[in-house]
Amino acid sequence: MHGAETRAGDYHFEVEGIARVEGEGSLKLRISDGEVREARLSIFEAPRYFERLVVGRTPNEVLDIVTRICGICPIAYQFGAAQAFEDLFGVTVDPQVRALRRLLYAGEWIESHALHVYMLHAPDFLGYDSAISMARDHRALVEQGLALKRTGNEIMRILGGRPIHPVSVRVGGFSRVPRPADLEPLRKPLEAAVTQSLETLKVVAGLDAPVFEREPLYVSLRHDAEYPMLGGRIVSSDGMDAPVQGWRDLFAEQHLEGTNALHARTHDGRVYQLGPAARVTLCADQLHPLAKEALAASGLAGAIRRNPYWSIAARAVELIHAAAEARDIVEAYRPPVRGLEPWTARPGVAAWGTEAPRGLCWHRYEVDERGLVSACQIVPPTSQNQGAIERDLAEFAPSVLDLPHAEATVRLEQLIRSYDPCISCATHFLRLEVERD
Amino acid sequence: MGALGPKPRIGVIKMASCDGCQLTLLDLEDELLELTERFQIVEFAEASSSRSTGPFDICLVEGSISTPEQAEQIQELRRQSKLLVTIGACATAGGIQALRNWQDHDEVRAAVYAHPEFIESLATATPIRDHVAVDAELRGCPIDAGQLVELLTALNIGRRPWLPDEAVCMECKRRGTVCVMVSGRGACLGPLTQTGCTALCPAYDRGCFACFGPRENANAASLTCWLVGGGAAPADVGRLFAGFTAYAEPFRSLVTELGATPGATNGTGSAGIVGAPSIRSGARIAGCMREPGD
Amino acid sequence: MLSLHAASSPAFFLARADLGRLLDLLREDGRRLIGPTVRDDAIVCDEIRGVADLPAGRGDRQAPGRYALTERADERLFDFVVGPTSWKRFTYPPRVPIGRARREGGAVSFGPPETDAPLLAFIGVRACELAALGVQDRVLLGGPYTDEDYRARRQTAIVVAVQCATAAPTCFCTSMDSGPEVRGGHDLALTELDAGFILESGSPTGTALLERLPVTAATVDQAVAAAQQTAAVRARIGDPLPTAGLHDRLLAKLDSPRWAEVAERCLSCANCTLVCPTCFCSSIERVGDLDGRDAESRRIWDSCFNPGFAKVAGGNFRARVQDRYRQWLTHKFATWWDQFGSSGCVGCGRCITWCPVGIDVREELLAIAPAVPAPPLPAAVEDVPVVPQEYVPTRVVDKRQETGDTWTLTLAGLDDVHAAGRPGQFLMVALPAFPPAAISVSRYLPPDGVCLTIRSAGPATTALVGLEPGAEVGIRGPVGVGWPVDVAAGRDIVVVTGGSGLAPLRPLIDAVLADRARFGEFHLYYGARTAADMLFRDELEAWAARDDLDLVCRWLPGRGASVTTSGGAARSTVSAIHQATWDGSNAVAFVCGPERMMEATATALAGKAITPDRVYVTMERHMECGIGLCGHCQMGRFFVCKDGPVFQLSHLGDTFGREGI
Repeated sequence: MHGAETRAGDYHFEVEGIARVEGEGSLKLRISDGEVREARLSIFEAPRYFERLVVGRTPNEVLDIVTRICGICPIAYQFGAAQAFEDLFGVTVDPQVRALRRLLYAGEWIESHALHVYMLHAPDFLGYDSAISMARDHRALVEQGLALKRTGNEIMRILGGRPIHPVSVRVGGFSRVPRPADLEPLRKPLEAAVTQSLETLKVVAGLDAPVFEREPLYVSLRHDAEYPMLGGRIVSSDGMDAPVQGWRDLFAEQHLEGTNALHARTHDGRVYQLGPAARVTLCADQLHPLAKEALAASGLAGAIRRNPYWSIAARAVELIHAAAEARDIVEAYRPPVRGLEPWTARPGVAAWGTEAPRGLCWHRYEVDERGLVSACQIVPPTSQNQGAIERDLAEFAPSVLDLPHAEATVRLEQLIRSYDPCISCATHFLRLEVERD
Repeated sequence: MGALGPKPRIGVIKMASCDGCQLTLLDLEDELLELTERFQIVEFAEASSSRSTGPFDICLVEGSISTPEQAEQIQELRRQSKLLVTIGACATAGGIQALRNWQDHDEVRAAVYAHPEFIESLATATPIRDHVAVDAELRGCPIDAGQLVELLTALNIGRRPWLPDEAVCMECKRRGTVCVMVSGRGACLGPLTQTGCTALCPAYDRGCFACFGPRENANAASLTCWLVGGGAAPADVGRLFAGFTAYAEPFRSLVTELGATPGATNGTGSAGIVGAPSIRSGARIAGCMREPGD
Repeated sequence: MLSLHAASSPAFFLARADLGRLLDLLREDGRRLIGPTVRDDAIVCDEIRGVADLPAGRGDRQAPGRYALTERADERLFDFVVGPTSWKRFTYPPRVPIGRARREGGAVSFGPPETDAPLLAFIGVRACELAALGVQDRVLLGGPYTDEDYRARRQTAIVVAVQCATAAPTCFCTSMDSGPEVRGGHDLALTELDAGFILESGSPTGTALLERLPVTAATVDQAVAAAQQTAAVRARIGDPLPTAGLHDRLLAKLDSPRWAEVAERCLSCANCTLVCPTCFCSSIERVGDLDGRDAESRRIWDSCFNPGFAKVAGGNFRARVQDRYRQWLTHKFATWWDQFGSSGCVGCGRCITWCPVGIDVREELLAIAPAVPAPPLPAAVEDVPVVPQEYVPTRVVDKRQETGDTWTLTLAGLDDVHAAGRPGQFLMVALPAFPPAAISVSRYLPPDGVCLTIRSAGPATTALVGLEPGAEVGIRGPVGVGWPVDVAAGRDIVVVTGGSGLAPLRPLIDAVLADRARFGEFHLYYGARTAADMLFRDELEAWAARDDLDLVCRWLPGRGASVTTSGGAARSTVSAIHQATWDGSNAVAFVCGPERMMEATATALAGKAITPDRVYVTMERHMECGIGLCGHCQMGRFFVCKDGPVFQLSHLGDTFGREGI
């Protein structure tokens, strides 16, 4: 980051290279006469053209390719694509396969949320530049975060071979399903993870968050019978409702005047917010009883809804949910009758969305007569959240203008990090702005 | 006792990539805090707001070179680094985004972006070693955590890291996995691929898709003959090679020769990165496989 | 009655329903049962809990590069052929701890691994596999050094053999004289009939088991049925690989064009060697803490097909796949006989089935080695005393720089065994977390010291030369065959060497000079890249001053030297020998240098009437274990670390100077 250039009444903030986020992005804020003229999160992550790379590939190859969009939420991409194809091909997986998928997704949530809460976001609240420097004063806290993260990773390691780009998810199920004995080593760590995540919420509740309140439009999946992960209907805080395949009925990617970034908007042009705060707000009734109880006891539900900085608490609540549900699944596990359902490709449009740690991640593929993909659209959560982030920045910025520049910058960066933006994901779908001075 | 002096300075830098390889460092939950006592991690944007542009004793570079800025940046990083270590398939072989190297760049940009004129990227995504000298590499998509620890341990005590250049089959057999290809469960690139992943995919009932890239003496021609001889369409076999290390030879030539150009929809779709049941190892074909008694 | 089997042991019948009783008996002492079971679309050997885990009604279909499970209507448990797992997985596991090393300050310590060999019972071992266990016994227990982990597992295992009732097209035990009839090496042998099993004991353990089982004496009909079943298997296999004279035929074809041809198909993936029940090549893997203070050594399966297998600091002895394929095939079918007195192949056919591209060794052998016998090769070399296998901490007491990259470390306080080496022998020298290095002793300092002259060529040797007096290293040895000083008694001596090659020869020079009257003329030829690359400069000066030693030094121009010798820059030691006026007809030569240099030297010596039986050379290979158990240092019929490094040139035969051996 570098210094504010102050000219008579004009402020120009630039944060070159936002740290502690996945990928490379920068923030530019132009303020003149006390008014925010421009708030732009710009992405200089190199484009990788994934929509083009999957053309001509088979459904299972697509699973392997799209997972490489993001090293931190590979499962989100695999499950979005796998279920889109299963929906088109008329495949219903064994209930135990579905349970294993929730277990695997819970692993990714635990890993991603623990990473964000402890290693990326907490240093902001406690005044450190990283979890590593934070560990010098708060070793036990960092170790608790690492322990949670390890448990999340361990789930992915057992079910998928490795935590980053696991290999077992296939269209129709898993290439290999675990024996009950394979899940045995998860019992103790998951029991501990439930305790650690409850502890996490307590620690988080004691943090000081900047004061900033607004009422965003929240969007998430909502499932009849469970906290949303693998699917459901797309719902919003103002009553929108569509089947999971119907993202395009509610939203569109728009090319906005004055920026070169494509943002997702509702059809009537509004920005919206996805992710833990949206899910906790819209689906709190479906949280695991332990998480529901802890949320109520914390009294933070309102703060989570109104103040983006409190997303850290939403993540802590979801850590409890994921750990408790994972524990329950392991307890009840019986191997599926069929781990991998056979299928035949058929032409048409395959679409599905799942709840990635950062929010709704939506896929759409066109499949040709030979079963090869001919076109693709993937809308990851960060590109949908971008509009909400910029709007928050524009609203919040005036309140920090009187602070010393360095502190103001930290506050703004912290606000961006509240969204846990995954720029690696977003890049491949955002229209990249290249600045030329 | 390391040759780099006490507390070597490490930089973790990313080019075009998914962040997964640098995340591997954060995933070393058991070693991370201990590592930070042996090394100073002075640049690691994903994990720390405190930044550095060098100099580095060890620079871990993730990702491939795919924009003009990156092509310049890597030169500067080389100047700033005593040891430059590339991590992952993108950095060592170009990665999945190198599939665009077969396609018309303008067309690819236009297909994905409404305003291609604003997109500044190079026509190709290329490995780091095509641009600057590289002192060591960790392969894989993503890299293996065990190999990362081994590399850092070796650097710490000044010995050579144990990074075997043998085939995936070695570890697969040590592990006791039944060969997926011989037992008819699909094509597998393990015999051509450098080990390091602990032979993961076959242990999860699927063929290796070469995310650690071709090894020394990778005889891809022979395996191609065997699969085609068994009845697979050449383009389907070619697509096996069009994965995360497609831009590394000998895969690169075979992708083209077998008509599996990325972006085109050739082949039957019956085989792919995962061998489909229609690929059966079996018959022999002239030129590669000799008939008994020839 | 069952004369085809073991004539001495009577046959008993065990009803099918009672097989579980046998397994229960075997398990009584906490023993784990290893037997065939279905996993991953194959019949593998793995831990089984009981009869229910055996592959009832399952069979297999095998062909080059192909394996498929089949199903039958019957309930027979052993009607299939060998699968991908061989018993070596349990007797010689892919990865076992073999030692632990610690470093505390300058001190080092070495200890045994924390292992207790599991008690195992093997169920369903075939005749070819019994033969394979015998082959590995000879390699790993035959001495002089032995693999203790293997010994522990092997000694305690109970072996229940099964007579084959079927055969695959890949089987050729009949040709390798290893089956299909079980002939020994078992505790109990089973022949499966529809109604039950014919049991025969092969050991007191087997007899004791039989006594506790509800068996009846086998009827004549049962015995005949069992014999017919095995005879049918023999007939079905036939004799796919005529082996008469194969050893000689194969070694006569080291230049066959077929080696290059098979290399075009070979993936060099090593699968053949890993499924092979006799292949034993290994490497040492070290896993330790971040600081190299504490490291565990593990023996892991390696293969001669791997790129790094025959690598040394200066290059790769078998860089091409054709070299590796030739090494493997000639070892299995020819040089194994020279080393261990048996074939290295038992004809189980696994390497054929599990080759991903279906290469069939039988086909290659028939193509490469048609029936033309070659002359027999000479016998093996002399035995050397055996020393303890453990590394012993030893203190460095002095250090001296010899050249820009070479230092001499003096070690002291060695016990009688470690200090009692012969000229030309070497020590394995280890630091925790580093691979051990094979270092020739460059001087013996009785009663308890040695000098090691070490060139910094890699991380391990760099770490060694970085040690200061007071530090410790681990040593094992001295090992290897040294210079036979005694054969030179009463004869003239010619020593030819270059660069760091003088180090292993210095103890020989010491021995000759210490008893100078025993020997005739003494010519010493020493070359180096530059004068500054010469070792032991002070001593060279002293030797040059003696009139009972003819020292000729040679170096390339560009740098002066203070060594006052007859000689100087610009001419090689080889041309100096060509120009020498002495007569070598009563001389013995000792040569140490790169292989190309030794070849040229041998030619020059022949010109001076020194025949190959009077030339001793020292060979370099990749030494991983240093005691002939890991396979890395193989060179034709020899393991260089055990049979060498010093060889009589005439013994090496036509493998000397050949590329890719």
